[in-house]
Amino acid sequence: MEARVAGVPGDEESGLLPRPSTAGRRQPTAAARRAHPPPPVWATVDGPLGLPLEEAEGHARRFFLWGFACLPFLWAINCCYFWPVLRSPSSSDAFSRIHPYVLRSAVGFTIFSVVLLTWATTFIIGGERLFGPGWNDLVMYNVADKLGISGFMG
Amino acid sequence: MADADADAAAAAATIAGEPSSSSMLDSLGEDITRIVTPVSTCMLLVVVLVSLLSSSSSPSPFTVAGGGSAGAGAGDEITSALITAVTFVVAVTVATFLLVLLFYLRCTPCLRAYLGFSSLSVLLLLGGHVALLLLSRLRFPLDAVSFALLLPNAAAALALAALSPASVPIALHQAALVAIAVLTAFWFTLLPEWTTWALLVAMALYDLAAVLLPGGPLRVLLELAIERNEEIPALVYEARPVDPRHGQNWRLWRERQQPTAGGDFDSNSTVEVIGEVLGSNLGANSAGDLGISAFRSDEQVDDLSGDARNLRFGGTSMPNLSSDSVRAQVEVLQALPETRVSVAEMRVPLIQPQPDRTRVEEEDDDEDGIGLSSSGAIKLGLGDFIFYSVLVGRAAMYDYMTVYACYLAIIAGLGITLLLLAFYRKALPALPVSIALGVVFYVLTRTLLETFVMQCSTNLLMF
Repeated sequence: MEARVAGVPGDEESGLLPRPSTAGRRQPTAAARRAHPPPPVWATVDGPLGLPLEEAEGHARRFFLWGFACLPFLWAINCCYFWPVLRSPSSSDAFSRIHPYVLRSAVGFTIFSVVLLTWATTFIIGGERLFGPGWNDLVMYNVADKLGISGFMG
Repeated sequence: MADADADAAAAAATIAGEPSSSSMLDSLGEDITRIVTPVSTCMLLVVVLVSLLSSSSSPSPFTVAGGGSAGAGAGDEITSALITAVTFVVAVTVATFLLVLLFYLRCTPCLRAYLGFSSLSVLLLLGGHVALLLLSRLRFPLDAVSFALLLPNAAAALALAALSPASVPIALHQAALVAIAVLTAFWFTLLPEWTTWALLVAMALYDLAAVLLPGGPLRVLLELAIERNEEIPALVYEARPVDPRHGQNWRLWRERQQPTAGGDFDSNSTVEVIGEVLGSNLGANSAGDLGISAFRSDEQVDDLSGDARNLRFGGTSMPNLSSDSVRAQVEVLQALPETRVSVAEMRVPLIQPQPDRTRVEEEDDDEDGIGLSSSGAIKLGLGDFIFYSVLVGRAAMYDYMTVYACYLAIIAGLGITLLLLAFYRKALPALPVSIALGVVFYVLTRTLLETFVMQCSTNLLMF
């Protein structure tokens, strides 16, 4: 996991810590940070239990691309999983390759959820006044009854 | 009671000669909490679902079919229940041996594919069905478009979370496993009453036999995995370790050799199996056996050093009712005809704890099934979750008093099993003690305690 950032000034222990400390790393202990060589930066919310840095980029990209297959929850998973990447400043070099994917995943999921919530809320609140008799055809429990699947399956 | 068990287990571990087990003592209580919490959550969700949905006026199709075929009378019910239970156990045995065979032939892709398919089917079909029932019962005016959009999405995301724990946050992975267990357990509570109890007892006995007898399929599987140094892909719930080794990537052991990121990575540490799913597919006439048994062995595990052994072991897999003859016998079990899935949960037996889990030296002990992994996390097979929840769900259909009694019985049984694990240090089945205590408590509560409480309440002595 070589994420040495050469020539980055202004780190808190400039020269000792090759990575910016604002990247959300989860150190097991503080003592370890002092006693050991520069601790690894964890890109995932699980810290040392999650993906190592070099795999994170491929993973983020895969989830981002697969989210376009009508699976926006993959974008949500991407955002949650790489929360430290999302929270770190976009200029952080350790996460520079992961950050665009996670950011776009967040944007995509936000758009999807806004659209869905708007539509669902309109449907629920509008009710029959807004949609007319077609409302009853769209409500899920009526659809289920009509298709006969609200009983046990089969 | 969990704490007492924890202390007792820790004391037992000390007596057994663990050196400096103070660090283990410190986190043993939390380890146990981390396995009792998801079990309790699963049971709570099943009780909630049963309470919300069981008072539906429509009779369960099982009772209709069972009553029609078996005729009236408790004797017939019991007979058909026993036949069903025995058939179930036989089917589970066959399915487990099939899985052992596949594992032996190293057909891991087909096992993984099966696992994915079965968990996806459970989430999609059962989850959709339960969601529809909830929507109908609560009269929540969700529209069909949103529902059609959300359900496959959520099912795919949860299936992915259950199958590949390295790609999702640990919390989501554990939540997905619990969701699968809840759905399967709820589905099982739809069986008629005698069938459910017969099934529980039969599966407990099967678990006992399969794990402890030398010819039992689970034991064979375990030994196979031990000698091959491979992981058994199975649905196993693994609690988050309390003390992750410094720099050690707990989960990725299964997939690659961890580069020494922190410099003190112990390449010999045992691999944890996080989300093995053991799925066995039900045939086309899925008679409603849901068992999640899928095997997914990691090829990279073979690349690990020889000391890093990973035993993941699935418990019994649910029956795999696929043939028409089986269906004829178990006509009471109406399946999801359109689904071809049977999710067989692996009830992972308890595994002995790793005493020196805080040491740098690796443990060569095999971690089979439930037990303490090298990092000290306890693993429990998903089948155990399911059957515990089935018991509590069935108790919920009677009264809440039985729910409380059975819940306490099951947790006590789990604690006792963990205690036995600390003593015997080998793979143990987690079902028998808990199911036995649960059934005994249910019977006692229903016959004795209820009368007592009712008398006290009506005489204003106790409420």
